[in-house]
Amino acid sequence: MKDDNGIREPMVLLDGVELKLDSEAGSVNILKGINLEIAAGETVSVVGPSGSGKTSMMMLIGGLERQTGGRVQVAGHDLSTLDEDGLARFRRDNVGIVFQNFHLVPTMNAVENVAIPVELAGMDNAFDRARAALSSVGLEHRLSHYPGQLSGGEQQRVALARAIVAEPRLILADEPTGNLDGGTGDSVIELLFSLRAEHGATLILITHNPALAEQCGRVIDLQDGLIGSDRVVA
Amino acid sequence: MINAFRIARRELRGGLKGFRVFLACLALGVAAIAAVGSIASSVIAGLEEDGAILLGGDAALRMTHRDISPAERTWLEKSADVSRVVYLRSMARSDRTGKRSLVEMKMVDNAYPLFGALETSPAAPPTDLFAKRGGVWGAIADTALLKRLGIEIGGRVIIGDAVYEIRGTIDREPDRVSGARALQLGPRFMASAASVSDSKLVQPGSQVWYFYRIRLNDRDNLAAWKTDLDTSFPDAQWVVRDRGNASPVIKRFIDRTTLFMTLVGLTALLVGGVGVSNAVRDFLTGKMQTIATLKCIGASSGLIFGAYLIQVMAMALLGIAIGLLIGGLAPALLADLLRDALPLVARIGVYAQPLIVATAFGILTALAFSIWPIARACDLPAAGLFRDSIARFRGVPRWPFVVATVILLAALAVLAIETAFSRVVAIYFVAGSAVAMGLFAIAGILIARAAKLAGSVGGTGMRLALANLHRPGAPTGSVVMSLGLGLTVLVTVALIESNLGRQITKSLPERAPGYFFIDIQNDQVADFEKTVSEVAGFREMRRTPMLRGRVTRLNGETAKSENVAENGRWILRGDRGVTWARELPEGETIVAGDWWPVDYTGPQLVSLSANSAAALGLGIGDTITINILGRNVTGEIANLRDVRWGTLRMNFLFMFSPGVLENAPQTHLATVHADPEREAGIETAVAAAFPNVTTIRVRDVLETVNGFLGKLGLAIRMTAGIAIIAGTLVLAGAVAAGHRRRVYDSVVLKVLGATRRRIMGTLLLEYGLLGVITALIASVIGSFAAWAVVTKVMKFDFSFDPLAVVAAALIAIVVTLALGFYGTWRALGQKAAPLLRNE
Repeated sequence: MKDDNGIREPMVLLDGVELKLDSEAGSVNILKGINLEIAAGETVSVVGPSGSGKTSMMMLIGGLERQTGGRVQVAGHDLSTLDEDGLARFRRDNVGIVFQNFHLVPTMNAVENVAIPVELAGMDNAFDRARAALSSVGLEHRLSHYPGQLSGGEQQRVALARAIVAEPRLILADEPTGNLDGGTGDSVIELLFSLRAEHGATLILITHNPALAEQCGRVIDLQDGLIGSDRVVA
Repeated sequence: MINAFRIARRELRGGLKGFRVFLACLALGVAAIAAVGSIASSVIAGLEEDGAILLGGDAALRMTHRDISPAERTWLEKSADVSRVVYLRSMARSDRTGKRSLVEMKMVDNAYPLFGALETSPAAPPTDLFAKRGGVWGAIADTALLKRLGIEIGGRVIIGDAVYEIRGTIDREPDRVSGARALQLGPRFMASAASVSDSKLVQPGSQVWYFYRIRLNDRDNLAAWKTDLDTSFPDAQWVVRDRGNASPVIKRFIDRTTLFMTLVGLTALLVGGVGVSNAVRDFLTGKMQTIATLKCIGASSGLIFGAYLIQVMAMALLGIAIGLLIGGLAPALLADLLRDALPLVARIGVYAQPLIVATAFGILTALAFSIWPIARACDLPAAGLFRDSIARFRGVPRWPFVVATVILLAALAVLAIETAFSRVVAIYFVAGSAVAMGLFAIAGILIARAAKLAGSVGGTGMRLALANLHRPGAPTGSVVMSLGLGLTVLVTVALIESNLGRQITKSLPERAPGYFFIDIQNDQVADFEKTVSEVAGFREMRRTPMLRGRVTRLNGETAKSENVAENGRWILRGDRGVTWARELPEGETIVAGDWWPVDYTGPQLVSLSANSAAALGLGIGDTITINILGRNVTGEIANLRDVRWGTLRMNFLFMFSPGVLENAPQTHLATVHADPEREAGIETAVAAAFPNVTTIRVRDVLETVNGFLGKLGLAIRMTAGIAIIAGTLVLAGAVAAGHRRRVYDSVVLKVLGATRRRIMGTLLLEYGLLGVITALIASVIGSFAAWAVVTKVMKFDFSFDPLAVVAAALIAIVVTLALGFYGTWRALGQKAAPLLRNE
């Protein structure tokens, strides 16, 4: 990714990012000054104990949460300058997200769930693309099934198809196998990596699974709201 | 059963969450029915307990146009105190200001009142107020008369040839409801009956009524006295009324108002029933995991059904109790309003019967509308309950539950019909409600199917909107039902009001004459016509002889109310205007038979209005006997006329051929059209030359009728408001039920890149489509209902007012959209993260 001067810009740039959330028990410092740069095309896993701020960091990168300090720049956009609708457009054009809980729209069937990002992006042939995406995750026989009629693994594959269908430059995956059994989880991850490779997108993957983390090119370890280590996988 | 109670008790510890709309719906409907019934009971109790005061006696005899004989009076005085009251309508004029006003005269004797007390300002005995002093009679009047004439107490008014001094104003006239006419066109004027002869108002054929009020020496012997009266005077022409039926007009008014308002309350309860059903379904949706768990550990469907029915009915009883509390206290809360609005003293209290009826309606509604969703939830297999919530409540439960629901709905219908004053109206209401609910249920299904068929028509927004209408679990059905029923009431009321308003403001003044003149004596006719036609601005005059009579026989048989159709009974109830004519009056048309020749001299023929002939079951060739001035006049029906009452012309039910009536003592009735700006000159000229002639300004009549219709409109609006509030509540409930899911869907869409505008656009389309389609259907049903009420109940011509319907429909669409938008916009402005984390 290059700017007007031909200088290569990072896909993600976190500059002294802080996140403080208010709760009934008082305010909690979740992120305490994160500095991070992720280049386009990288695959990065984020690990760390529960409560270390992994999901919060991903929410910030996806524009789903707003930092209380520092700067978040993703795909050339300074997210702090965008309003809610600006953030929505930013995600539409740049980001695909896979959640641990799938977050499919329960009242829409599989192909409709997958078609939405394409439709929102104003691309042609939304349903053809959605069918193709579902086919690429092996669900061509489940097109008209509703989420409630699908198994957990199938739902996550729908979510995966939805994340990649609009060919985003950045894929965010928050413990995508957390709710799946080992075998199903493996096949979902295999799909995630192959689809990412196919589209050349940047991947940020949150996981508790060390082996899975090692499949990425880089592993970032978050500890109590700070980056404990940041290493390239050999 | 014990287990069911145990489970229910534990579950109820969760409190009222999710039951607010349920409670509100039941409480509102039950409160409306209980309040209407309680108020009616307190008014009727007042009517019954104060019967003698309202009637002016234990019994009252009414004679039209002629007095009773001395022998009859002697008979009456044998066993009772007797008070004679003469009612007339005339013109009063101030000798000082020259202003004039029509007055409703009540001329009393020294025995008046036999019961109750006449309250005046200043307070004084009636004998003092009415005594003749220095050649001038005393009188009292409504303050309205003093205002109209521009005089004070002590001022003088001239009526006919008599002069009266106003010695006080009337604060409360105990027997005001028992006058000669239901509709009073002028203020009350009271004076001594002895002054009537001085006024010279009573001439042969004059419009005058004589009332004889009786206070029996043995007041417990009323029935025997009446029998004795009937036996002693079998052919007497008086109408006898007793304290047990003091004011049939008021009683009928209360009965009809109660019926109307109860039906509106019932509409609120029916609409609420939809809310009950929705609330129960939503409540059970939240209990799916519990139900599944209970099933997994061995609870039977029956046990679960019992446990949840107990919970729902416990909540229903709470809602009903709230409704009963409000309804039961309504008479006390509205005591001041009732005192001012009614001519009698309502007996404020708690009445069991209306509360029992309201409770029965509440319980039946709660049961009828909750058994279905409870049965559905309990029928689902345990494994299925653990899956997602969609498609849970579709389909039909097992047949016993279907049968139970049908029986309960039928019981509701039977209760509505059996407790109604008019079964026919109640049956129409029940049938109409059933058809309307059926149509909206079908409409809900059709809208969902059409949305599915339309599929991916239009852009993303349209596709999402259409999809939201047919998704499993979409609230389309309940929104269409609640919005549809509420809007139907709104359209019906809007159209009825618009038709009532149009009757008065639009159609009448164009065609109506400026004045009615009554009591023109035979020997005054020529002078009267000359005087009026010479006044500047005079346009046209019509005149007809005027007599009054009572229908006594139909085809030779004694005319009895019970033998004629309900809509014809009023004809037999009292005196009706009668006339004779050589030629068919202008503007009327013959619909059956032939008008008699101008020079007809044969046997007595009679022409009837087509509607009244139908109501009385009479046709061409039948005979009708009318007692006019004590003489029975029988005529053969020669033709039927189409009479248009709305024209305010001289319309008569009965017109005789020339002959017998030609020579009977009679007065004349005239209508005069004049330039509106100069019509006052006609009134002045007539008053100066013919003091006995009574002038009725059509504009005054219209104002009186307008005032009445205004009050009627207000009552309609207020009661309809209850049904509309219920509809809005249910609609809000239906929309709120899907709200959490909708916000979640919206947040997911936002995560995927949809802007708020786009999401709201989809919502706008979805609710807009629902609103528009439902509004269309409700407009048709509401228009039909309004047509039925206006033409069949009120007997007016119906005119469709598209503006009223469009306005009502727009309101409905705006309300739907506002409710649909409520909360979603706010949720969309917030960060998505917390919602995604919490899921």
